[in-house]
Amino acid sequence: MWEFWIRSLNASTIFAIAGLGEVVGQRAGVMNVGVEGAMLFGATIGFIVAKTTGSYLLGFLAGIAIGALIGLLHAFFTITLHGDQVVNGMGIWILGFGLTTYIGSPYAGPLGMGRIPTIGGLSPFFFAALVLTFVIWFVLFKTHWGLKIRSVGENPTVAEVSGINVVRTRYWSVIFSGAMMGLAGAVYALDYNPVWSYNLLMGWGFIALALVFFSMWNPYILLSGAVLFGALWQVSLNPESFLPNIFSRYIWRTFPFVITIIILVIMSTHWFSSRWGAAKPEALGLPYEKD
Amino acid sequence: MTEIKQGDIVLQARGITKRYPGLVANDHIDFEIRAGEIHAILGENGAGKTTLMSILFGLTHPDEGEIYVFGKKVNFRSPLDAIDLGIGMVHQARKLISAHTVLENILLGHPHAGAILDMKKTAEEVKQLCDAYGYKIDLNAKVWHLSEGEKQMVEILKALYRGAKILIMDEPTSALAPPETEKLLETIQLMTKNELAIVPFITHKLPIVLSVSQRVTVLRRGKIVARLNTAEATEQSLAMEMIGREVLFNLKRPDVKIGKPILQVENISVHDDKDYWAARNISFEVREGEIFGIAGVSGNGQQPLAEALAGLRKASAGRVLFENKDITRLSSLERWKKGIGYIPSEQRAVGSIGDFSLVENLLMSYYYDDQFVKWGLIDAKKIRQLTQELIEEYNVATPNPDVKARNLSGGNLQKMILARVFSRKPRLIIANLPTQGLDVGAMEFVQNKLLEEKKAGAGILLISEDLDEIMALSDRIAPMYEGEFMDILPGGSAQRETVGALMAGHKQKAVQA
Ligand SMILES: Nc1ncnc2c1ncn2[C@@H]1O[C@H](COP(=O)(O)OP(=O)(O)OP(=O)(O)O)[C@@H](O)[C@H]1O
Ligand SMILES: [Mg+2]
Repeated sequence: MWEFWIRSLNASTIFAIAGLGEVVGQRAGVMNVGVEGAMLFGATIGFIVAKTTGSYLLGFLAGIAIGALIGLLHAFFTITLHGDQVVNGMGIWILGFGLTTYIGSPYAGPLGMGRIPTIGGLSPFFFAALVLTFVIWFVLFKTHWGLKIRSVGENPTVAEVSGINVVRTRYWSVIFSGAMMGLAGAVYALDYNPVWSYNLLMGWGFIALALVFFSMWNPYILLSGAVLFGALWQVSLNPESFLPNIFSRYIWRTFPFVITIIILVIMSTHWFSSRWGAAKPEALGLPYEKD
Repeated sequence: MTEIKQGDIVLQARGITKRYPGLVANDHIDFEIRAGEIHAILGENGAGKTTLMSILFGLTHPDEGEIYVFGKKVNFRSPLDAIDLGIGMVHQARKLISAHTVLENILLGHPHAGAILDMKKTAEEVKQLCDAYGYKIDLNAKVWHLSEGEKQMVEILKALYRGAKILIMDEPTSALAPPETEKLLETIQLMTKNELAIVPFITHKLPIVLSVSQRVTVLRRGKIVARLNTAEATEQSLAMEMIGREVLFNLKRPDVKIGKPILQVENISVHDDKDYWAARNISFEVREGEIFGIAGVSGNGQQPLAEALAGLRKASAGRVLFENKDITRLSSLERWKKGIGYIPSEQRAVGSIGDFSLVENLLMSYYYDDQFVKWGLIDAKKIRQLTQELIEEYNVATPNPDVKARNLSGGNLQKMILARVFSRKPRLIIANLPTQGLDVGAMEFVQNKLLEEKKAGAGILLISEDLDEIMALSDRIAPMYEGEFMDILPGGSAQRETVGALMAGHKQKAVQA
């Protein structure tokens, strides 16, 4: 049982880091459905750099950097060129999938470096994720920066007349968001499961994306959701040992999505919105054009 | 910076010109504002008032011209530059983030807000401002919970908290109830006394201009046509300058035979968005050729009631009959088809689709009409021609019918919406604040249109906050307060004071009076 929870928490670390990144981007009004693609880039480039240089540090930095670059790309297409966020995000996923398969294949196999030390079995990144959750919550809700980010995501026109540079704020948010996804990918490939193989993430990016909607854009709820989804994933790996003969692992893997859909339905009800208002950033998905 | 004295020129614009495709919104405008004055800017809908103010606030770039603030030439790249120089703006359409709290809205973009927001300190400072102007407002409330008047307070507080010395107000009273308007006027007069603000003030309400401003600048079609001292002006002379012809301030109510009931409302109750009771147990009827006026301060349930009658909101109880048929359960489309026309009060959010052209906006009332749509195909030529005709008939200032609705000035958009509803020749018109934001000329036009429809035998449910409008047009008047009709009075003999008192909820007093 202990083992199960350790594995779950280590998995949830990755969901949480990627999800936190996406939360920041979406709070600023930019959705990136290509989380999986950005994570694949982070995982693959991080893996290759670490393997060739023998340095974990360089590997993680490379993962973050490539993620940030993907974020920059997404920002350029959606903010500057007013491209559709969903279409562009899908593009990032497809690009990430294809390109990382191409550049990663020659490196297929284990990383072959000493494992990153754990703390009672838990990855140090688990604690990093805890800290990040707090920091991102603090920045979003207690600082002027965060207020600006949330404002450009709610109503960019109002932000503009309040003297906010909407474009710049969105750019930085999306770049940061990409960097977090890259980091999440690198954590997967260098720490969680240090083996490069074809399609190594198996859709974890999409779970992280679902997590953002599940969280109602709140970092703390996101963290708890990550733990829940991490546990569900572990169950799906080995369903027989928990609840024999109930569901196949593929059914278990849909649970995060089913739960998210239920949350989304509840959120869209009159009952919810008349009490708590709309949780979703109002300008999410909409390009901003200055008149 | 040298000390500013009352009467010094603080802001000067020279040769400001702004062109939009097909029209010149501002044509070489020279204009100055002095310290401590309330400077009214008048002009027809589409005259270019908002454009000029957006330029002074750095929101729009002029094609030509120079701006001097406190004697220094400036070049605004964005509102931030204007804000830094002490210019604040209260916009024609509210510019607040509804999901955020009052304090967050006030702090957003504040140049001295530290990296980590000090909510406590801000709250104290804003409280002091509130006390100075007698504002009562919950600083931690989310903006979507606030009334129109409260939202406006927040905008003013936001500008003042940023140290605005020049406060631009674009139609600040158009969405306000009478007591809120009075409060606002008091506030701005206090501001000018504090040497804090110099207020260019745009409005269509001439009595307000006469009572609070010192100087008036009149725009017509992008040009300045008059600069006056308010002391020398009268309501008639101002209207004359604005639209170049005389405006009759008393409407002639035609003698129309009141026919049989068209709309019968029986004990209807409605909830609002927050699930509170908005209107309770209301019964009345509107008859052919009759204007039934609901007088009330916004937020007393008129809006949900109107929406329920238009089929946009479910009634929680009660029955609605239209020409003796129960329509309580019919959708809005079925109601339009039967001959009900609805003029919503939110012209941008409900009345039009901003990114659609005027033709497409008009189509929204015609897409179900075989004459314009056959076999699912739109007869583009026909609908475009109709749009063209209506633009002419209703005098909408726009270069062509393909302009996006959101580029129309407030008043012109309202005319377009009226044109759309009236051209369907409805049997019953539900007009919710139909003259909101209109200039005196356009207002006269709309009121006459309503009277024309009345003459043609339509029943009209007029919802208005403007007591003069209600008194002048209605055959019967129902003052509405907190979701209930206080009474139903005959239009001809009702006293203005009585209606005013009833709509403020003073039942007792009204009875004695
Ligand atoms: N972004 C834009 N693109 C094209 N035309 C525009 C744009 N903004 C304004 N206009 C046009 O410029 C003219 C002036 O508009 P403006 O909003 O300044 O009028 P206004 O005097 O404020 O009118 P109102 O009293 O109705 O608010 C109008 O004819 C309007 O249609
Ligand atoms: Mg205007």
